[in-house]
Amino acid sequence: MPYKKAEQKFSGKINVCEIGVGDATISIGGENSLPFLGTEGFKTAVGIAISDTTGDWSDCFGTIYGDDLKNPAALAKAAVEKSGADFLLIKLESADPNGADASIESCVATAVAVEAAINVPLVVEGCKNAEKDAKLLEEVAKALEGKNVVLFSAVEDNYKTIGAAGGMAYGQKVSAESAVDINLAKQLNILLTQLGVKSKDIVMDVGTAAAGYGFEYVASTMDRIRLAGLGQNDEALQMPIVTNVSNESWGVKEAVSTLEDAPEWGDQEARGIGMEVTTASACVVGGSNAIIVRHPESAKTIKALVAGIIG
Amino acid sequence: MSKFMVIGERIHCISPAIRQAFADRNPEPILLRAKEQLDAGADYLDLNIGPAERGGEELMQWGVKLLQENFDNVPIALDTANMKAIEAGIQVYNRSKGKPIVNSADAGDRIEYVDLAAANDAMVIALCSKEGVPGNNDERIAYCSELLERGMERGMEPTDLLFDPLFIVIKGMQDQLVDVLEAIQMITDMGLLTTGGLSNVSNGAPKHIRPLLDCAVLAMAMQCGFSSAIVNPCDKRLRETIVACDIVKNNILYADSVLEF
Repeated sequence: MPYKKAEQKFSGKINVCEIGVGDATISIGGENSLPFLGTEGFKTAVGIAISDTTGDWSDCFGTIYGDDLKNPAALAKAAVEKSGADFLLIKLESADPNGADASIESCVATAVAVEAAINVPLVVEGCKNAEKDAKLLEEVAKALEGKNVVLFSAVEDNYKTIGAAGGMAYGQKVSAESAVDINLAKQLNILLTQLGVKSKDIVMDVGTAAAGYGFEYVASTMDRIRLAGLGQNDEALQMPIVTNVSNESWGVKEAVSTLEDAPEWGDQEARGIGMEVTTASACVVGGSNAIIVRHPESAKTIKALVAGIIG
Repeated sequence: MSKFMVIGERIHCISPAIRQAFADRNPEPILLRAKEQLDAGADYLDLNIGPAERGGEELMQWGVKLLQENFDNVPIALDTANMKAIEAGIQVYNRSKGKPIVNSADAGDRIEYVDLAAANDAMVIALCSKEGVPGNNDERIAYCSELLERGMERGMEPTDLLFDPLFIVIKGMQDQLVDVLEAIQMITDMGLLTTGGLSNVSNGAPKHIRPLLDCAVLAMAMQCGFSSAIVNPCDKRLRETIVACDIVKNNILYADSVLEF
């Protein structure tokens, strides 16, 4: 009997979201199938993450970037060059009121300098303090008007400010963060849409966990989001998914423990990359339309993985 | 499971305003009712042009184009006793948002509507009846099988037939309503889809009682697998019942603002 390929047809389709401007523009999403199972080709964008606060980064990054680690603009340029990433994420961690509590002005200046230093689209991550991020990302949106950056991310407590500033006043993209809560993911998209942000200007940051640290829950959340968007044609869940695995991957003991701490585990850098690549690849096959990693080798590996699957 | 499909019934020539709009080819009243229904969550719009013995073909084409051009190729149920008009409507129908639905066939005089749907790659509402309301579920299932065979012989997918068990009126036939629910369960168990004109249930009941009966029957029917209905989507209570049942059945994902979306 001849082989007959069974294809599941879906009525829904993931939105296409464009990030960046001019030649540097990339678009994510657009698939009408589960990841890599469609005929149109599902191509995950790969981003490289940097931060304005790299003091607690693993030593291997000092070896890779040298003094650039202390200068976000130089670091951005080097990170893109070394990784070949499609886009860059700058985390403005110094803004954290419970940390360095840097001023909004200085953080905005950092974001502007980083944007000017690179020729790929930019994602700007806040410090994860909802109140500070509202002001910070609003000012970032204003300063980078016309650059079509992603504000990463709006949460339940600040979506009005970030949505109104980013998605409406200054024409940026708004990421909606739901921390592995599928109902909240839908709710935030509804709220942003009701506010007046267009669906095509919203991406979902549904969250992640490092592989081995409750990732099953991430996997089932992504699965259900995609099946609702595609199978049930749920327009409130048809936004592309953007996942930053760098913070989680480089924060677990497998990546943090030094060779002295755990000699039996072997080289620390290889372990960190291993955690990051494992987590990122699981997200990629789970449905992330854009994946963000910290180590240039992780970025290259994921790009090769995606290219290899697409064939 | 996919979510419950709502076929909006309000563009119907039984309404004087719509009948006049058809006669005058006046788009306004029709577009208004279409918009109201779509805003209220209708998935398909029923376009009932009546018997339309004269000029039906041209009228149906006008109506299909009017609705699809103004509402992003909204899918339509083409509803008339004039088969030529349905065929003419399908000729100008854009399928990008869903196949046309032929409304309707039965196992009696109207069985050729199944042929019409098959020949035009359309869906069809198949009434499980021959002459009037079926007397019991043996009849319902026999007619259902007859219609299914007819469609499949002509190359239709079984899921392109929407079987209507014929809801009966509570007033006077109350003892038979559970049979209709049972029929929905039996048809669903065969892997088939169902639909029906729900408001028939409460026909003749006082106005304030009707939504209550409609909603209760709808919820019970959905538990039996009922997959679509021809209803007034602007009935808020009914719409909310559908959303709530879709959530309970895991057909749509819950969110706090699910009713406002």
